[in-house]
Amino acid sequence: MTLTKRSLMLATVALAASLGAAAAQDAVKIVGVVELSGAGATAGTNYKNGAQLAVDEINAAGGILGKKIEFVVYDTQTNPGNTRAAVQRGVDEGAFAIFGPVFSGPIGASMQIAQKAGVPQIVGGEAAGLTKQGVTTLFRTSLNQADAMPKLANYFKDAVKASSVAVVWVNNDFGKGGRDAIIPELQKRGIKIAADIATESGQADFAADAIKVKNANADAVFVYLNEEESARFLRAIKQQGYDKPIVGETTLLGAKVIELAGAAAEGAKGHVGLSVDAPVAGFAEFGKKFQAKFNYKSDHNGIKGYSGMYMLKSVVEKTGKFDKEAFLKAAHGAVIKVKDVPGILIDSKWDDNGDVDRESFLAEVKGGKQVITGTLPPVNKF
Amino acid sequence: MTPPSPLSRLDLNLLVLLLGAAILWFVPAGMKSYGIYVISFWLVMSIAAMGLNLTLGYAGLKSLAQAAFLGIGAYTTALMTAKGGIAGPVWSWPLAFLASGALTFLAGILLGFPALRVKFHYLAFVTLAFATLMFLIFRNEQWLTGGVYGFPNIPRPTLFGVKLLNDLAFFRFLLVVTLALSVAMWWLLRSPWGRAFMALRENPLRAASLGVNLRSYTLLAFAIGAGYGGFAGALYAPMVEFIDPAPFAISASFVLLLTVVVGGQGYFLGPFLGAAFSYVLPEMLRVTGGYYLLVYAALVLALLLVSPQGLLGLVEKLRERRRVKAAQAMRDASKVMLEARP
Repeated sequence: MTLTKRSLMLATVALAASLGAAAAQDAVKIVGVVELSGAGATAGTNYKNGAQLAVDEINAAGGILGKKIEFVVYDTQTNPGNTRAAVQRGVDEGAFAIFGPVFSGPIGASMQIAQKAGVPQIVGGEAAGLTKQGVTTLFRTSLNQADAMPKLANYFKDAVKASSVAVVWVNNDFGKGGRDAIIPELQKRGIKIAADIATESGQADFAADAIKVKNANADAVFVYLNEEESARFLRAIKQQGYDKPIVGETTLLGAKVIELAGAAAEGAKGHVGLSVDAPVAGFAEFGKKFQAKFNYKSDHNGIKGYSGMYMLKSVVEKTGKFDKEAFLKAAHGAVIKVKDVPGILIDSKWDDNGDVDRESFLAEVKGGKQVITGTLPPVNKF
Repeated sequence: MTPPSPLSRLDLNLLVLLLGAAILWFVPAGMKSYGIYVISFWLVMSIAAMGLNLTLGYAGLKSLAQAAFLGIGAYTTALMTAKGGIAGPVWSWPLAFLASGALTFLAGILLGFPALRVKFHYLAFVTLAFATLMFLIFRNEQWLTGGVYGFPNIPRPTLFGVKLLNDLAFFRFLLVVTLALSVAMWWLLRSPWGRAFMALRENPLRAASLGVNLRSYTLLAFAIGAGYGGFAGALYAPMVEFIDPAPFAISASFVLLLTVVVGGQGYFLGPFLGAAFSYVLPEMLRVTGGYYLLVYAALVLALLLVSPQGLLGLVEKLRERRRVKAAQAMRDASKVMLEARP
């Protein structure tokens, strides 16, 4: 290499570095720690894309308090150890907030790191235990299972009018948490548990489980599995000619499940926390924008990522500065309304544990689409 | 030209080990927590791989249960040190460390019994069954292990009255333990036992005819290898401070097997190189964005196609080629001399 060539290259590198530094100065770094591979890939990719959409919009409109968002995403492989490393990396890189993960196990493994560093962590997990451990930096973007399950138990009693229910759950922290939350709620309402069936994360064949459900002869089945497994289960149980109500919570009625299960998803019903098909203007508009940008239909995880980013923006603007401590203080107890922050999509309140409260919906799959059949009020009025 | 004696090569191993430890003591001083975490993780998995290298690389027994042993060690340590520990903050961890090693050693002996009856892929199946069983215990016995919710708040060990909360301090502690375990392994491999293990791998019949007790040596290889898995688990639990069954699933045993093969089975330093390949390289490849796992898989494929003996096998291959070339050059030179003679 000649001397001039080398110096030219050095100059270019130096220039690029200084440009980068200049750009970094008026940017605020937010690190996404998301399941982009492994068992949580569907959920994680939706969450990331939703957040990315919000970031692009916010940046196009001038950023937060005049600073652009620099959104960097690290894959966790849905592995708690890797998640921990990635959250640590985000903290080391001076992230103002950590976005994700979505699966509850990796959240449990990594939330102490964010807590230690005082960095807000906005997650997609639903497992009830997460917000019971006194971690002050954790904020949910979806309803806690402990709040969703009583609503669902009422639905079994009042709408489905079931006196016995077969419960099918996935044996991970998400599924087990849901199972442990719904069974006492059902029993409290005098509903018998006809079968209690554990399945594996990543399970491919659900024929045996479908037969067990059929033989249990319950009035309805409650299906609490992750997205891909939900679709496989629906196909398996339809092959058994099952004709009783198939009821789920959020995941069972997700867009990905309907796409994968095809006709087998028809008639599945239940409770959903967030849905692009809900009769809320903001959701529909978000769904359109998401479809246009990523060319597929967002599920509830996309909404979580999107509204979570706007929650962050809204709270930062309320405090008027990029101060993590002030953020944590203001975010606990924050009530964010759509009329003030359209990006939040639905009026939401965060309590002192980081749990979110909002309206939720009853839905059914009809004609290959999720159709909302009713709206349920928040657990505590605000 | 005489081939280098195995003794001198082992001494080189020890030299590399000591020098490496000295360098590693100072390397992470300027690093942030993330970097320190990654190299800490590397050391812990190196210990587990070292154990498997003994079973697989030296004694030639294909085990698919190393991650299960790691899990036994991790859960034992978690149970013995959490919530104040069984013997206060100072002694709980050392006791747990020894118990983890002892328990996995015993488990290794139990698993070693079928190992005497079956060989090759049948042995792999036996260990696979054991690994599955352990995973189910970790996951389903919620009263003991926390099940799928995991086991949170595992404390760091306390040394000289100081709790190793600081990542750098914990890393240096890990480094010392790793060095001690490596030197023990180095000594073991040089001892008559180590040679017996190698004899077992190369030709069991001949080993038996030389007076090596096949039964006890097979058991010993398995048990010590498992014990190293347990030791690694005892370090893993306080490092992550949280465990759940996922890192001890069967897929993790496969990754450990890959680690030993990629590093070069039967080479003393192989596990360190292999663990760097399996656990550090994917982190470094993150610069390639969404493709990093793809790039990683391609690298593994390419390496094993070029050198089935792993990274150190590649080095050996190059050295061998140079030796052959030198010998050829010598022969050519002497031929010229012969022809030149009238």
